[in-house]
Amino acid sequence: MDRGLYIAASGMLAEQVRQDQIANDLANASTPGYKADRTTQRSFGSLLLNNSVTGAAVGSQSTAVQVSGIVTDFTPQPLKDTGEPLDLGISGDGFFTVQTQNGTRYTRNGQFMADAQGRLTTASGDPVLGRDGRPLTVGADGRVDPRRVNVVLLTNPRKGGDNLVTGTPGTPAGQVAGQVRAGSLESSGADPTQSMVDMIASMRAYESGQKVIQTIDETLGKAASSVATVTG
Amino acid sequence: MLEGLRTAAAGMAAQQTKLDAVANDLANANTTGYKHVRVGFSDLLYEQAGRPSAQGVALGTGARAVNAGRGFEQGSMRDTGSPLDVAIAGEGFFRVRLPDGRQALTRDGGLHVDGNGRLSTASGGLIQPAVTLPKGTNDDQIAIGSDGTVRANGRAVGRLQVVTVRSPQALQSVGENAFLATPASGGPQAAPRATTVQQGVLEGSNTDMAQAMVDMIDAQRTYQLTSKAIQTADQMMEIANGVKR
Repeated sequence: MDRGLYIAASGMLAEQVRQDQIANDLANASTPGYKADRTTQRSFGSLLLNNSVTGAAVGSQSTAVQVSGIVTDFTPQPLKDTGEPLDLGISGDGFFTVQTQNGTRYTRNGQFMADAQGRLTTASGDPVLGRDGRPLTVGADGRVDPRRVNVVLLTNPRKGGDNLVTGTPGTPAGQVAGQVRAGSLESSGADPTQSMVDMIASMRAYESGQKVIQTIDETLGKAASSVATVTG
Repeated sequence: MLEGLRTAAAGMAAQQTKLDAVANDLANANTTGYKHVRVGFSDLLYEQAGRPSAQGVALGTGARAVNAGRGFEQGSMRDTGSPLDVAIAGEGFFRVRLPDGRQALTRDGGLHVDGNGRLSTASGGLIQPAVTLPKGTNDDQIAIGSDGTVRANGRAVGRLQVVTVRSPQALQSVGENAFLATPASGGPQAAPRATTVQQGVLEGSNTDMAQAMVDMIDAQRTYQLTSKAIQTADQMMEIANGVKR
């Protein structure tokens, strides 16, 4: 009977996780090359209920809800023109290759800079690699030839923060490495309208969970206070 | 619980930085030799989401603004006709010694003659190496060639040296249109041959008004939208409080 209390509470907790994910999308609505997330939920195991008198099976009941994953939508977003020589955008699929202290990472945020050695780096100072696998250098005119920039396809990209993505190079079905365009940046994949709608839906689902708890509480209250009272 | 509050606050702080930068660009829309600020954004760490989440469910924690230096595109040239106004066409900077003694770089070529006949910038920075005009030189008698050679009455008296650095985005801005070289930018070196000095012209600010306006609207609306995430998180806490009546 009180199982419903826990089920409703787990639903509320799951909506909190979704809300946190939406807040992150909104916070990154201006981050170039950002990819929007989606929270997926699934039921968490189910019980087979039996009639306690006859022993006949009643059916299965799920016991809670679980956040099963956060899925990132890596669909390429439109490029926007910035005119900055070191802003690079990938038109199509693929990622820039970045040499970090923790190994090779990938990114679609092409807002690059030049360091003291004249190498092309990310805003965090990690060198960007060219087609020859070596760090790219910025020419004397302050530009980089977009054709020299390495673009790789990843089979299982995963976001790692600081605009970086981890993954295994490989060619997923139907993908072709895109072209690099100088003077443009990929816009953020966060869709504020979608986020707003999701946020309202999530909040209402949260509220429903609250109502379920309150109703069960009321029923329990009835059971505790009214069942045994003798009136008249 | 509801980390989204802080996630959204981080996003708002990042937008604020962008808005500040745009405001500075707009305020300097008429500043000679001004170079617009480049603000980048980056997402923050991803961490394991709390209960009831499966292993490997990673939640992001917001965004931050990243300083991407300045954009050094050429500003538009403005004809002034004044013989002491010079502009650099192409990559490069004039070398100046600031009043506090630091060696700096500037593209502001609105020059003056100080009490000792030396060429200096409007804020009192001395052109390096010093160019001294003979006593009694009239402004109209000064001719500055495209290679920077300064002639007073037809006689060469010095040269406006144009230098550049390897990575201008990494220069440190110190106000008064001046920049300092940093280890990341590299030291001054000779400017490319294509760079010329033009007399009677000033380089305007490279703030693109239309772009700045669009950026401002974008930053303000994103700020507003992100604040809704905070409001919603607040409402959800209220709902949670309402579980026990």
